[in-house]
Amino acid sequence: MGQLLTANVATSLYWLGRYLERIESTLYEIKKAYDKVIDVDKDAGVKVYKKFDIDLQYTDAIDFLDKAIKGEHSANLLNVLKNARENAIISREYIDELAFGEIIELNEIAQRISRSNGRIDCKDMDYAMSLISEIWGAQTKRNHRKVSDYFLKLGKLVEEIDFRLRFGKGQKTTDIILEEVHSIFKFLNPEINIKKFDNKDIMGSIYKQIDELIVD
Amino acid sequence: MLEKSTDIHDKFWEIFSKQDRQKIDEFKRYMDKFAVNFNLYKDGNFIEQSLPFDVIPRIIPKQEFNKIEKGLIQRVTALNLFLEDLYTDAKIVKDGVVPQEFIDSASGYLKEFVGFSPSKKIRAHINGIDLVKDSKNDEWVILEDNLRVPSGASYPLSIRDIYRKIYPDFFENFKIEPIKNYPKMITEAMNYVNTGGINVVLTPGRFNSAYYEHSYLAEKVGAQLVRAHELVVIDKKVYFKNYDGKKIQVGAIYRRLDDEFIDPKFFNPESLIGVPGLIESYLSGNVALMNAAGNGVADDKGIYYFVPKMIKYYLDEEPILKNAPTYLPYFEEDMDYVMNNMEKLVIKDVAEAGGYGVLFGHSMSELQIEDLKMMIKANPRRFIAQELIEFYDEKCYINNELVNRKADFRAYVVVGKDVKVWNCGLTRYALEEGNYMVNSSQGGGFKDTWVMEL
Repeated sequence: MGQLLTANVATSLYWLGRYLERIESTLYEIKKAYDKVIDVDKDAGVKVYKKFDIDLQYTDAIDFLDKAIKGEHSANLLNVLKNARENAIISREYIDELAFGEIIELNEIAQRISRSNGRIDCKDMDYAMSLISEIWGAQTKRNHRKVSDYFLKLGKLVEEIDFRLRFGKGQKTTDIILEEVHSIFKFLNPEINIKKFDNKDIMGSIYKQIDELIVD
Repeated sequence: MLEKSTDIHDKFWEIFSKQDRQKIDEFKRYMDKFAVNFNLYKDGNFIEQSLPFDVIPRIIPKQEFNKIEKGLIQRVTALNLFLEDLYTDAKIVKDGVVPQEFIDSASGYLKEFVGFSPSKKIRAHINGIDLVKDSKNDEWVILEDNLRVPSGASYPLSIRDIYRKIYPDFFENFKIEPIKNYPKMITEAMNYVNTGGINVVLTPGRFNSAYYEHSYLAEKVGAQLVRAHELVVIDKKVYFKNYDGKKIQVGAIYRRLDDEFIDPKFFNPESLIGVPGLIESYLSGNVALMNAAGNGVADDKGIYYFVPKMIKYYLDEEPILKNAPTYLPYFEEDMDYVMNNMEKLVIKDVAEAGGYGVLFGHSMSELQIEDLKMMIKANPRRFIAQELIEFYDEKCYINNELVNRKADFRAYVVVGKDVKVWNCGLTRYALEEGNYMVNSSQGGGFKDTWVMEL
């Protein structure tokens, strides 16, 4: 018998993967835009957040950081961090112990930022990104990959595809990732009928497949 | 009052004096980082917090622990025999050792289970027995038996690892009993009673105070952590619902919720955290429940009084570990004593747990005492009275200084093929000086417990 997982844990692992990837990618985009907002392109932040369908308004680079990370919008990173922690607590038995600790620490940074009224420290952003790298590193080092590891990976890859599509990144790499997602679906349930992803609505067809994969 | 120091204690302090005290903060950081939590609801808010931890362990010399171990094995063996007897032949009642009235009025007694014997006739599989060391007689006494859903073992298990990392000197210089075998003890007990299928730990969910423990133990025990709706009962068999829709039969359930919530079809129909049909499956012998339903009768504070008599009745032995001197106002003689000595007694409401419903005569006003007397007279079965045990303090390192605090000790006894006592336990201490309430739900902290020799 392979590794057993409840639908709740499978879903939590999938979302944990998504949230962690989302935090990492968003922070990367924020850092890039922040640098431009300072003295190259004042609207760089606006352009980034348009990709998330958010109309972000700010006065300067510091304000951009504040609004991007703490602002009242659906891409608020503090909320994403909170969600990551919640999913990690639900699925902690299936996550590398060190990775779990880093996720909790990541949320501590978020809490600190949330409590402080001062400007957001770029050091915190760098530290958060290094923690996420450590999380992925700890997970990758696991010798025997289990079903649970693949749900986490599935979440990471699906989020990566979402980002690539939003930011119009190269199709070739996106196709390679889609192939990987396809093979994870097959691994997680060889009995379901895996369809080819619809190029017109890639995310929609992935979500449909996930609904078939995780039976609640 | 502190226990008399021994060579082991002296050596401990000698090593402790050489340790870097700055490192004590690392324990808290570790507990925060790995969310070693005990959750609380305060003013309607859910609060996740780590349990207060004290770095000074309780030290129990191996030889002394051996006696505790024998006493606990004896006690839990008798309690299991009592439960099995009570729910089948009830000889102990027929023979007049325990009055029928006490059984009938015990809230944990479930008439519906009369005539049913669970797998391997074991009912109390995982037991938490609370003891204190009485300074008057320098001996351990039993304060309470927890035979339903005792919690707490995961905290010393979690902290021991980090202790070894931060202060290895102690482990290099003493022979401290290893404790990692606890999950194995549970796995073996589960496998022993398993009726065919996988093992699961049933949790009320993420917002339960002991959720950390549930997930920790499930992982270490190698069982699936499940919430009620992740199990389904079909044809009187319990199945685990896998993410892919497959259903896998469950043979043993380590449940972490009380009887009344476990099956809305059988008990409280309002329960949203129970598995409908679970009890029918259990009564059909298709799944083992750890601990058994109906155990509450044996850890009823009123029934506690009779445990020494049970040991004599079932095992024909004298109890190795004594009860705290206890009075039952139900008996006329005891009622007189309680009425005349209320100021020096501890009065406990048998329906309460977790340190609730405990009243100390010495800290009550005359008016409060009079009110309480009236309540006891009106409902004598609801209360027990105990002599106040002046149990030893433990040294604690609080706010950078060594202070004395009251501390108890919860020992864990696991019953499978054999009855085994874990070489550790949960030492709980009161945060304030002179306070006797050590329960975690009352804000108490915990320490590691070292069973050891030089």
